[in-house]
Amino acid sequence: MAFCIAVIGKDNAPLYLTTSDMEQELDLQYHVHAALDVVEEKCLIGKGAPESKELYLGLLYSTENHKIYGFVTNTRVKFIVVIDSSNVALRENEVRAIFRNLHLLYTDAICNPFYIPGESLTSKKFDRAVQKLMSGNA
Amino acid sequence: MQIKPIITYSGSCPLFRSLESQILNAIPLDTCEWRRTFQRPTKHVRLEAQTQQFNVAALEKYKQGDWSILEHPILHIFVTECNDVDTYKGTIREEIDTWLKILTSYGISDWMILLVETLDMRKTKNFMPRTTVLDKIRLDFGSKNDDRCISVLNPAKFEQKSTESFRCLVQRIRFLMLTSYNRNIVKYEELIRSKREKRNVDGWDFRQYFFMQEDLALIFEKLELPTEALIQYDELDAMFSQFITHTGLNEKQQWLSHFRRPLDAFHGICLTRPDRFEMRNKIRDEGVSLLEFRNYLFERQAYLLLTCNDIPEIAKRLLNFLFSTLREVEFIKLECQEGALWCWEFVCALEVLQLCEQAMEPNEVTCFQHCAPIWNLAKDKLYELGKLCGLLPGCTPTSEQLHIVVQLSSGIGDAPPEQHQFLQATPQLRERSPNRKPKKSAAEQLKEALGSNQAFQKLYLELAELAISTYKHVARLRSARLVGLDLGNFYCALNEPHKAVGFFTDLLRELKAENWHTLSSQTLLELANCYRKMGDSLAYTKTCSSISCCAELETLVRTFYFDEFLKSLKTLKTTLSAQPSIENANYCVLEDHFRVLDIEVVNQKPIIQDDYILVQMKVESLYPRGIVAENIKLCYELQAAPLELAMENVSLNVSPSAVKVKESTSRLKVSLQLVYKQDNRLHSAAVACDMPKSKQPVRRTSSTKRKLSPSVQADFTNFVQAENIALQPGVNLVELKAKATRVGSWQFKQLCVSMSSLEFLSEQLPFTPPSFEISTKPASASLEFKTLIAGIVQPINLNVSGGSFIFPPDAKITLRCSKNLRIRQARNTTDEAAYNDDTSFESLLQVPLVQFKSFEERKIPLEVLTDMPGRKVSKHHEHHIALSCPWSRTELPIPVDFQPAMEATCRLHTCGTQKFLQVIMKGLDAHLLLQHAQVKCDVPGVQLLDLNPEPHQPIEIYKSLTVTFLYEIQVEPLKTEHELPVVKVHFVIKYAPLSQPAVWRTYGCAFDLVDYTTLFKLQAQLEPNELCRLRTVCNMNLKITKVHENPYTDLMYEVLNDQNLWAVCGRSAGVVSMKDVDSHSISLDVMPLSTGFLPMPSIRLSKYTAGGKSKTDAHSKVHPFPPGQVYNSTKSMQIHVIASVAGDQ
Repeated sequence: MAFCIAVIGKDNAPLYLTTSDMEQELDLQYHVHAALDVVEEKCLIGKGAPESKELYLGLLYSTENHKIYGFVTNTRVKFIVVIDSSNVALRENEVRAIFRNLHLLYTDAICNPFYIPGESLTSKKFDRAVQKLMSGNA
Repeated sequence: MQIKPIITYSGSCPLFRSLESQILNAIPLDTCEWRRTFQRPTKHVRLEAQTQQFNVAALEKYKQGDWSILEHPILHIFVTECNDVDTYKGTIREEIDTWLKILTSYGISDWMILLVETLDMRKTKNFMPRTTVLDKIRLDFGSKNDDRCISVLNPAKFEQKSTESFRCLVQRIRFLMLTSYNRNIVKYEELIRSKREKRNVDGWDFRQYFFMQEDLALIFEKLELPTEALIQYDELDAMFSQFITHTGLNEKQQWLSHFRRPLDAFHGICLTRPDRFEMRNKIRDEGVSLLEFRNYLFERQAYLLLTCNDIPEIAKRLLNFLFSTLREVEFIKLECQEGALWCWEFVCALEVLQLCEQAMEPNEVTCFQHCAPIWNLAKDKLYELGKLCGLLPGCTPTSEQLHIVVQLSSGIGDAPPEQHQFLQATPQLRERSPNRKPKKSAAEQLKEALGSNQAFQKLYLELAELAISTYKHVARLRSARLVGLDLGNFYCALNEPHKAVGFFTDLLRELKAENWHTLSSQTLLELANCYRKMGDSLAYTKTCSSISCCAELETLVRTFYFDEFLKSLKTLKTTLSAQPSIENANYCVLEDHFRVLDIEVVNQKPIIQDDYILVQMKVESLYPRGIVAENIKLCYELQAAPLELAMENVSLNVSPSAVKVKESTSRLKVSLQLVYKQDNRLHSAAVACDMPKSKQPVRRTSSTKRKLSPSVQADFTNFVQAENIALQPGVNLVELKAKATRVGSWQFKQLCVSMSSLEFLSEQLPFTPPSFEISTKPASASLEFKTLIAGIVQPINLNVSGGSFIFPPDAKITLRCSKNLRIRQARNTTDEAAYNDDTSFESLLQVPLVQFKSFEERKIPLEVLTDMPGRKVSKHHEHHIALSCPWSRTELPIPVDFQPAMEATCRLHTCGTQKFLQVIMKGLDAHLLLQHAQVKCDVPGVQLLDLNPEPHQPIEIYKSLTVTFLYEIQVEPLKTEHELPVVKVHFVIKYAPLSQPAVWRTYGCAFDLVDYTTLFKLQAQLEPNELCRLRTVCNMNLKITKVHENPYTDLMYEVLNDQNLWAVCGRSAGVVSMKDVDSHSISLDVMPLSTGFLPMPSIRLSKYTAGGKSKTDAHSKVHPFPPGQVYNSTKSMQIHVIASVAGDQ
């Protein structure tokens, strides 16, 4: 369903990143990193009205094989999901659902009192849940 | 392709033809307001038209629902020039009726009857109203549509007068055309909808539907509604995609096979096509490939967007267009040559970019935002083509690859001849500057690039640079760096690693700043590769070192580079300058190799100058194996005094409470909040922080962003260091050491680790480093004592604190005492003889400071002794000791106060003429033994008789205990008082402190005896003597007798009685003269007021000096006698008073 799911901290450091395909991992990481440009751009536009801020940023950019979607939480933690662009059956609502679930998982993970904000997410439970989400079984 | 609305005519056709050109020319001359249905905004539209003769056959399609709005006549005009009512009634009426019936039968109501008047009606004014042909026509046909019947003066005949009526006609035609469109568009849209519903029915053909809807789009375009035209195309676009991706392999869609033709040609889009509808005809006539169809669709969309002036949107749509088309090609499994689609993508991308380039303003960011990825795409596609055709650096195309190039080149196709027709539609396109050569078309550029390695490289580099600069222009730095990575790799392949280094370091900086470790370690590998190729051993060493510390990389890679690092380090000859450059700031920072975990100053605080500073540092080495650091230095700098402290020093009036208040304000004001339910039970409890919104109580500090400026070397004049330390992977404990040379408050600043010639500097210590204090201490000496008691040996301590003073071996402190104070070094109490030797006390003492070291603190016990002064008053005895120390030239006087050990007072007592001396010793703080009390009097004729019992043992005296000694004074009678007004008496007693009973010291006290002779004697007697009754007047006899000759003649007596006990009847005082008499008796009446033993009323005798004898002495004066001169012999007599019998009754 998704190629890659990444959680990126407020200072743009990766907190968590997983890919379905190890061989493509490096390439995907580069893409996720570049997607931060668009995230920043979109956040800048939405800065005017914080009340009506939509967390879901929509499609950030697409390549021949990938579609890269973004989501930013109120604490400026970014979620990036890379999706196979040949999967035309995937609706935007499903992408939104992925982000919604991811947000919940993330919130659960950082509620752990032993988690230090800004450090990478190593929770196994979180990892398992995200893997499930990535394969579309969530 | 001409698109003009069609108007039909019938009736008098030759007449209409004569007017036709005039009408057709007039229609586009002006706009007409178009009121659209469904509250869409009104619009002013300029129309064109073409005419046809009315033909029923054309309407047949309309009735069947198989019509096109493009070909459908929009207005039907019936023309007549009949102006005779009778002729009209005879023939024309029939004709019109038939015509209208036909129209109605086809459901058409867009008609108009035009009456061309050739006769001047105004000349025949006698016509009755409503009797003209026009009136008749209106009456017959225009009952509801009055405006559809119109007459016009034949312009051919009435050139002057016809203008107004002709203008009305044209305006009416325009109006009716638009009204007709309103109706027809709605109808046509319904038709399209119904057609679309049937899309899954067998035999439905997309192409038919496509033309149908496109006709609508064309009409919208004609009516100057490009956005609505665009909607039609977008719908067609989406529908087509859906067909292919969702039902692509469905057998029902037979029409799809038309698009499934092999892609022999893969022409890109062309936005400058001279005939925009060339492809439309081709689609209709021959059928086209999917690619061509898609191209056409995009071109149309682009054209409409351009009409709307929305060039950024074209760029925005391009990528989606390319990707979805590729997906469609894949879905319907079109066969094509390898690389063909890359060529197509490339050409399309470049075509759009060229358009954007011409049209864009440089500050229009939105367009650049969309262009940047297109540049990147073009670059990527070119690269893939280059790879396919063997054009990459270091490759030479094989013959097979050359064959591919030829095939691709033919498939790319030629660009259509340059024509500006397309571009003319947009006035905002910038004119090319004349000295700039017109750019080659995209297809030509591609062909050229495929032609040779050099051309390929040139184009690739150009595209990459453009992609980078465009990304940078829109502030997408990360994307720009990513392109830089590709470009860097390309340069590496070109064997120009020095050009690649810049791109890699840029990327590395970006990645490192945001802690993308996996990616940054990859980039390091690339960099290492570059530096090795360049032979830059210095940079290579550093990079190897960094790589070996990347935890993300595999151990094998790390150890390999670690070995490389060590190997390379040995070969380095030149000392690396510690000056870091921006370039190597990325990877040669200490933080990437070592992690400082903790710094602790081991010394006790404060550190004294010239002492050693010992620092323990916990440092984690990230190297895969142990490594020897030749030198580890940690520098420290003077700590800037905190501002607040400085402030306090300046203004001393800042109270400490004010400082406290300051501290408390930095705390959060957290308060308890309890929420109760209605039944007063607790619902919830919380703590809340009330803060005004403007104040941000908590600021997030969890920033992980790294500052990547080159670490500047701090001031390394002061540092602690350790040498040749083996650092194992993981946590190491390193001890650093240095001599504290300068005084002050210091803080650690920077760590420097050097290995042979490589030096690592820390950016910033990861935590607030500990501060420490180096100080000097002045030497000091002080005396320490408790309450000192005079007269006995008192301990006193001399405290010497060495500080940082260096003592000479013969250093000593001299103590000089004030008068009567003596001092000695303390002696052991066990050695009694020495201890009791009072002569060892001296007024000047030199205390040698034997082997006194700096910072030593020594307590030297001393003993002081001072004489007990012979004064009676118990006042403190003030002394002082002056210290002269080796470190100071001035003497330091220290005040020393003594309290007396005991005190002596004396009293004179009289018994008749006998005199007694009482000495009272009062014990104070000390506990003493007394013995050998003696009085001495040197005055001749005065003898003191000791009346005290012979003591067997010393008398003890201590606080609040008094000891009394009594002596009788015997003065020889010959010696009168006149000769000896004062008798000096010395009282001497020996005392010893209880703790030192062997040492008897002498305490002496001198008393002055005055007025020691009794001059007068007083005697009082009450009569009756035996029984005094209450409230009975008694007689008191007072007798004053002169005992000793004296000069006082006038005496005054006073009865001083207690008011409760006695009442004096009559005068209670009087003056008597003792001149020439020895005694005087006075009788007074007194009355007792109380029963019991009452004391005799006391009498006071005073010297009396009568006043008025001299002018200065106007008043009488009374001077009391001192107690020794008057003896009252009945002073303590008591009178027994009994209750009066009579009085009680």
